[in-house]
Amino acid sequence: MKRNDLHDESSLGVCSSHTLSLKENEQVQLTIKPSEQNYVFVSDFFAGSVLNITVEENAKLQLSLLVKNNFDGAQINVDLGKNAHISTFFADFSKEKEKIKVSINLNGEKSSASWHLASLAAHKDNKEFEINILHHAHETTAISNNFGVSKDQSKLVFSGCSAILKESHGSKTRQNSKIMVFDPECDAVARPILKIDEKDIEAGHGAVVGRIPEDHLFYLTSRGLDESQAKRLITFGYLKPIVRGFQDESIRDEILSLIERRM
Amino acid sequence: MATLIIKDLHAEVDGKEILKGIDLTISQGETVAFLGPNGHGKSTLLNIIIGHPRYHVTKGSIFLDDRNVLAMTVDERSKAGLFFGMQNPVEIPGVINSDFLRASVNAHSSKPISTYNFYKKLDTSTKELKMPFDLATRSLNEGFSGGEKKRNEILQLLLLEPKIALLDEIDSGLDVDAMQTVADVIRKEQEKGVGFLIISHYARLFELIKPTRAIVMINGRIVIDGDPSYIKKIDQTGYEFIKTELGIEIDKDELDMNKVSIGECGIKEIIR
Repeated sequence: MKRNDLHDESSLGVCSSHTLSLKENEQVQLTIKPSEQNYVFVSDFFAGSVLNITVEENAKLQLSLLVKNNFDGAQINVDLGKNAHISTFFADFSKEKEKIKVSINLNGEKSSASWHLASLAAHKDNKEFEINILHHAHETTAISNNFGVSKDQSKLVFSGCSAILKESHGSKTRQNSKIMVFDPECDAVARPILKIDEKDIEAGHGAVVGRIPEDHLFYLTSRGLDESQAKRLITFGYLKPIVRGFQDESIRDEILSLIERRM
Repeated sequence: MATLIIKDLHAEVDGKEILKGIDLTISQGETVAFLGPNGHGKSTLLNIIIGHPRYHVTKGSIFLDDRNVLAMTVDERSKAGLFFGMQNPVEIPGVINSDFLRASVNAHSSKPISTYNFYKKLDTSTKELKMPFDLATRSLNEGFSGGEKKRNEILQLLLLEPKIALLDEIDSGLDVDAMQTVADVIRKEQEKGVGFLIISHYARLFELIKPTRAIVMINGRIVIDGDPSYIKKIDQTGYEFIKTELGIEIDKDELDMNKVSIGECGIKEIIR
């Protein structure tokens, strides 16, 4: 793996784990060399940060981000080579107003990508995640799973397009977006878009925005949990699966603690 | 010994009166077989006792000893000693079964149970129910078979140790062996003094657990409150005798069509 951050370039080895920290408005280039496998944990990701990633032929990258700061205007751009793979886990506990744009380009044949987002919006947070996944080559596969919780007067938007472009036959793409809203004054929008320019493909999307189902609350309260305990348990279960994308146990504990505290 | 006392209970759902004056008393130590055709109010009564928000009581009372059940929240009813084993337990993705079970046990106790004691109790109970322990580590009811969901309901009964348990068709979805296992567990709970009100359409479960009484609900009213011999009679001849012997016409069960169907691409926005 190479990190080219305008100032420095260093090889970080093969089959290894790394922690990456981006400053405000900093641009970083990560390159995963052919056949390398890397786990990269991004500990800091600020407003204007731009993370450009190239995963070369047959290489694999697991990218895990824990974001607690304002990241307005940040970008993640990914280019995948032939048979390359990226799994991204984005745990968002940032505050205030922000928008991030993610572009994942499946350029090489049989490349694949999975994107997992867990976002918690509270108080007057105003967040938008634009996730674009572009299939440029044949037999590419991608899945985008976005889970959000919106409470108080916050606004949370999941948008973006999964596009299967020409010459991408045999490709598969899927978008899932779910936002749970807690309070009458919060606002949540899930806008999944599919663009299909090729035949012989599979594509699907699903979006749900709604309150905690009444029958879920009834079931849990019928076992003695009061309503706030039941809501907390459901929310915890909704956001908790993101921790599987983080290798370090202390980071996983920190995420669970952030969910607890911010709920 | 706790007693559940229901007097002149009337209730409606979506503006339609379902229960039309229920009088019923169940004490700990009793097992009451709750019979009646579909759509006559049996499940409604159980839901109302535990406090489902969809159902509205328009008249009457429910007391657990001297405590007014209708004045309690749903969780308070559970903590007071009422348990409702549901016909169709909901699946709650992401909520890990063991996390939920532990939170429920803690909600019934003044002091949180230790991790060791909880898992010991869970292990004993899952073995008793012949449940694979890994069900405890999966999302609550998600992907469970019908039989696994019902065993998970009985598992909760074991962990929460209620005074009165209301079981709604707990035997549906159970194969012969699983029904025997569940019946064995119910029998042990009967011996401990738990009171049961059990809805079932099949005599098999009742043969195994030997109810002390049988009640029959027709048209939102309990028209028979008698000895368990009615279970066999109904199993063999159906409900026709209600009309011929008691002169009561049985209303037909009317099923409403689903009003809304949202497919995979549907976007449902309740609050904007």
